[in-house]
Amino acid sequence: MKKYLPKAILTLAVIGLLAGITVTYEKYRGTDLSRVPQLAGRRLQAAIVDDTKRESVTLVAVASSDVASDTGKRHGYREVSASPPYVEEGLTLYPTIEKGMRTPFDLWRYYGRGVSSFGSPVLPMRFDQWLDFHRKQKPQLMENVRAYMESRFDFSETPLPNATMSGGKPIMKGPVVRPPKGIESFEELASMSVEEIREQDIFPYKPLAHPLQSTAHMVFPREWVRVHPEHERIDVDMDIPESYLPEFPPPLYLTTHKELGDVTNGREVTLDNFFEIFDGLLTPEQMEGLKELLRPTPTTWFNHTDHRITEKPSRGVACFDCHVNGHTNGAFELGPDSRPNMARLRVDTPTMRGNYNLMQLSSKRSVRSMDHFAEIEEYFDGDPGMQQSIGPRAAKREVTNRMGDFNSIIDYPPAPKLDPLMRLIPKLATEQELHGEKLFHGKAQCAKCHYGPAFVDDYMHDLKLERFFVCRPEGPIKTFPLRGIKDTPPYLHDGRCPTLHDVVEFFNLVLELHLSKEEKEDLVAYMLCL
Amino acid sequence: MLDQTVSSYRSPTFLRLALGYVYLHFGLLKFFPDLSPAELIATQTVMAFSMNILDATTSQFYLAILECAIGLGLVFNLFPRLVFGMFIFHMFGTFLPMFLLPEFTFKIAPFAPNLEGQYIFKNIVFVAAGWTVLMPEIFSERRKEKAIAKVTLEQAPESQERVEYEKVLA
Ligand code: HEC
Ligand code: HEC
Repeated sequence: MKKYLPKAILTLAVIGLLAGITVTYEKYRGTDLSRVPQLAGRRLQAAIVDDTKRESVTLVAVASSDVASDTGKRHGYREVSASPPYVEEGLTLYPTIEKGMRTPFDLWRYYGRGVSSFGSPVLPMRFDQWLDFHRKQKPQLMENVRAYMESRFDFSETPLPNATMSGGKPIMKGPVVRPPKGIESFEELASMSVEEIREQDIFPYKPLAHPLQSTAHMVFPREWVRVHPEHERIDVDMDIPESYLPEFPPPLYLTTHKELGDVTNGREVTLDNFFEIFDGLLTPEQMEGLKELLRPTPTTWFNHTDHRITEKPSRGVACFDCHVNGHTNGAFELGPDSRPNMARLRVDTPTMRGNYNLMQLSSKRSVRSMDHFAEIEEYFDGDPGMQQSIGPRAAKREVTNRMGDFNSIIDYPPAPKLDPLMRLIPKLATEQELHGEKLFHGKAQCAKCHYGPAFVDDYMHDLKLERFFVCRPEGPIKTFPLRGIKDTPPYLHDGRCPTLHDVVEFFNLVLELHLSKEEKEDLVAYMLCL
Repeated sequence: MLDQTVSSYRSPTFLRLALGYVYLHFGLLKFFPDLSPAELIATQTVMAFSMNILDATTSQFYLAILECAIGLGLVFNLFPRLVFGMFIFHMFGTFLPMFLLPEFTFKIAPFAPNLEGQYIFKNIVFVAAGWTVLMPEIFSERRKEKAIAKVTLEQAPESQERVEYEKVLA
């Protein structure tokens, strides 16, 4: 008996310790110290519990399965102990990381709160250590990025015959997303039910994350960096091959000078040459606006301080460094719409062509005018935490209005096969293209959201991809216009569809269209005319 | 002299319990996401060590299991050989950040650590403590007897048990 006493005491102590930590954790999560967020429903329940104790119990039981721990108690707003949302659905808490540290590529599986809504201009280490850290990390990171992209996409670089972008760059054939293991074809996949796809976790069009979401920020294509070595990053490079990105430099068309075609004559417009190219073609306001679109400003990570991702101090980034020639070079960034950083969606640069026709700008922010966009452009950081150190952007409204003035004359590329009502002119179109148009307006339902002169409805839609795989839902995203669509790969806000074929496969699954192989080809052929 | 030798083959109980408690407590914390103060450095090290095959959540889970196992082993004095193996492996791991993530552990390497680095440096004491606690436990009874015999023979060469002791030593 006596022999076992010490062991018994120790066992009790261990159990006590475990119980203590569990109770502590219950108190901790959901507080503002914790990154485990509150579940919105929980707050509601707590309130209900207070008023009508009895009914609430049933209500609560319906709402969530593990509520037994905190029913019947009045909870303050901050004190509600949250059962982490979606845990049942398989989400995990974001890992704890510092700026610069690697983040999971499958960020859609994670959830959680950030430490703060505000950024800080402080690096987690000295600058020379920062350089060392990335010199070590980058090669391994990029190798893993390549392997990851290779596992998702088959970048075989096969061009479509007789199809080029407006400036002549070949357009790649798809779909390049790899069909899930054990599934022969996309047709077989599309014949499965939504539930089956979710259950077997085989949805092939999952989001793309920024390869280094802890620093995130702008990642430029290699082709751009070769010409602009000042944008070479020490920590990460572009993950999509060049042939699946827009052409560089792209043509620039003006609504006010249609007769000139590409006004740049194949050059990249820069601060050095814009005067020569545009003097006498633009109004003074447009000239001023263009100059501002070309003038670099410090950003969160491209600036003169130590808080940067370039070896040497940087002068910053100009609008046209991503929206080169008023189009796009395929650079990507994170949408500035959510915190923590890891919850932010990767967004690739949309073209500025035809912005004059859009009522919704940016995938989630629902910005309503180009002037306003130029004013608030948050890549240059709306974050006061950062502005303290890199300087506020301080563009006056008169100036941003002029940036809008230039933006509003950037035109779409020519589409000779379309009539004024945006229908194909039968004489100029092939059988296949005409059939594609019929599908677009009929069986494939595309025209429900993509209509009008820019093929866009100017609404935000929630495509509810969470039906297809376990993820943190992305929520509503604006419809992107399809006019000139052949010039802007990769597709969707994060570029997860490198080719138009992939987009068609994507919508075929999401809208459950059951299109045949030929029908899909026809749709692509049609979109190449827009 | 004999007493001294024998006592150096006894594990100091208080030290063993203290060490076990620290392992167990900080091991248990790692089972709860976002509760462990060492989450950042520990998970990043395990991830780096596994060549990023393990993700953060998995790394932390395995680490939690390892630490709790060592903790329980020490507290209840179980499987000293196994615990010693795990302990050495774990201690080796705790020093890894200094090599794998020097930027996060030093102000200026190698003599000026930051707070994380300091926390790692002080594990030298842990190594010493673990050694003191575990070595006696894993020394076989036979080696203990041998040592006692040796000392006794030296001290009292003419003692009665001499023959017996000589047998032990042979
Ligand atoms: C990373 C390089 C980058 C730079 C530099 C940049 N943008 Fe953008 N731009 C983007 C991205 C990415 C989006 C998409 C944002 C989203 O979807 O949330 C965007 C969207 C826009 C849009 C909305 C287009 C649409 O179709 O929704 C406008 C207008 C715009 N930018 C104007 C500007 C202006 C003006 C500047 C300079 C002040 C600028 N951009 C600088 C990358 C950039
Ligand atoms: C429910 C409305 C809706 C329907 C129907 C719809 N789309 Fe879309 N489309 C969207 C939205 C929303 C996006 C942006 C999604 C994103 O970025 O995540 C989009 C994006 C696209 C893009 C990518 C644009 C770009 O610039 O990246 C293409 C191409 C496209 N749709 C083609 C089609 C085709 C072809 C069909 C018919 C098969 C179709 N859409 C049907 C709403 C719709």
